[in-house]
Amino acid sequence: MSGTARWPLAGAIALLALPLALSDFWLFIAIEVLAFALYAVSFNVLLGYGGMLSFGHAAFFGVGGYAAALLMKKTGLSAGAAFALVPLAAMVASAALAAVTGFFSVRRSGIYFAMLTFAFQMLLYTVALKATGLTGGDDGMTGLRPPGVLAKPLAYYYFALALVAPALYVLYRLVNSPFGYTLRALRANARRVQYIGVDVRAHQLAAFIITGAFAGLAGGLFALSNGNVFPGWLNWTASATPIVMAVLGGVHTFLGPALGAAVYVVLEVLISGKTEYWPLAMGIIILILVLLMPEGLTGLVKRRAA
Amino acid sequence: MIDSFLQQLAWLQNPVVVARQLLAGVSNGMLLFLICAGLSLIFGVLRIINFAHGALFMLGALIGATAGLAVLGAALETGLLRRIYRAPHEFQLLLTFALVFVLGDVAKLIWGREDHSVAVPAALDGSMRALGLTFPNYRLFLIVVGVAVAVGLWIVLHRTRWGIFVRAATMDRDMLSALGVNTRRLFTSVFAAGAALAGLGGALAAPIVAVGPGLHVQVIIDAFVVVVIGGMGSVLGALVASLLVGIVNAFGVLAFPGLAVVLTFAVMAIVLIVRPWGLFGAPE
Repeated sequence: MSGTARWPLAGAIALLALPLALSDFWLFIAIEVLAFALYAVSFNVLLGYGGMLSFGHAAFFGVGGYAAALLMKKTGLSAGAAFALVPLAAMVASAALAAVTGFFSVRRSGIYFAMLTFAFQMLLYTVALKATGLTGGDDGMTGLRPPGVLAKPLAYYYFALALVAPALYVLYRLVNSPFGYTLRALRANARRVQYIGVDVRAHQLAAFIITGAFAGLAGGLFALSNGNVFPGWLNWTASATPIVMAVLGGVHTFLGPALGAAVYVVLEVLISGKTEYWPLAMGIIILILVLLMPEGLTGLVKRRAA
Repeated sequence: MIDSFLQQLAWLQNPVVVARQLLAGVSNGMLLFLICAGLSLIFGVLRIINFAHGALFMLGALIGATAGLAVLGAALETGLLRRIYRAPHEFQLLLTFALVFVLGDVAKLIWGREDHSVAVPAALDGSMRALGLTFPNYRLFLIVVGVAVAVGLWIVLHRTRWGIFVRAATMDRDMLSALGVNTRRLFTSVFAAGAALAGLGGALAAPIVAVGPGLHVQVIIDAFVVVVIGGMGSVLGALVASLLVGIVNAFGVLAFPGLAVVLTFAVMAIVLIVRPWGLFGAPE
């Protein structure tokens, strides 16, 4: 067996065997890690590969969550049928949103792109707050439950894994395809790529829609495990989460953001269990990250190995 | 449908309500201006979006001393921000984002989780009557201070050496540095001045807002919308957009309750799409 094939196999076995070692509580956290790993990796396809800093990616995660909740609560479908449609609906809803907001956002670059994605997210946040009849407003939508045996953390873990693992594989193939290499070239020098004759905006928009769709899938998965969706998922502070996870793991590796997501989620559980000042701890962690370890955790490992 | 909408607008015929909302809108707009002027200056010169500006405003409301905020601003700039001017955008964004939570929680540790209400100073309490209408003195005072700060800032930016440097840095800071100006010190002083303005805004707002946890997260969003609409880096834009947003909000909550806040972000998005440098900013 070649060395490159060994790692994914070891990873797959570890993820399949993980529930043996975990209590129900930590299994619940593991599901959260899976969802946020997909979220962070999809976000980083934009940032780390495409050089596009979205400060509104939480819009897609949140819309995925609301799509799942609306499907379960408002359509009148049986729980089983609604649940079966959740992954597809979450991806379609967030892809559609990304197509509209992305169409305008990719016309701007750098900090203006970030602000435009931010404005669209806040627009959506206020809609979720004000459309109380549909979304429950400030109270959010609660009491979401997967049907039957899937309500058990063990079953839901494997369900989430069965969606997240292929999704990550698709994203991996994407960044290593000609499309992915065009994205990397765009990050390095968008103007030169344009001179070669590549339609820059079309590539950026496609990346925006694809990553938006996977962020939506992550949001839908997390909504049903978490049992509720709140407008806070769409507030501006939520859009820093995938940035922190990506930078924490390291934006120059494909799976770095997944590692960042795992570390972030576990730290949040451990610290917020002990103190109400988790935001302070998170702020200090971010400051350390930004000032002292800009290459993230994978950067630290590489530096040690070198 | 139209009837009910017109009924909602019946207050328009009542000069007392119109005058009251206008006064509230203009005085709120002046408070916004104090925050936004600093936010805009900092973006113009340092090219940093300072998410922590709302936290500086909140600290101003809690401490009540703007000089303290200037010192804190100078410390933050020299200790933290200076290290990331050449870093990618995401690092700059994360750094000021982290400060939002650090400063917010530190404020909680020191001042507790409850809302603080501050009394209007006795000298400014009460109200005056004119044209058959009543105006609270404090609101009028806020407008006077806002105008004074706007005029003062204009004089400083256009008639002093420091102001000329600031405006030059907004256009081309590398050239300014090449011409021998100490831009490191300039950056520190601009951030300190911006922090002091935010602190002044907070101190003046304290008697009319509930000062408590979460204030800074809300305030920065309002300020951000204003600065984008007015044009990042433009103080005049900050003034016009502050008054505009203040007045539109004051009437919007009566005319379209619920919709006003949604419209704010729609306007922000449209400005960014059509004219990303804002109403008064300069295109890059």
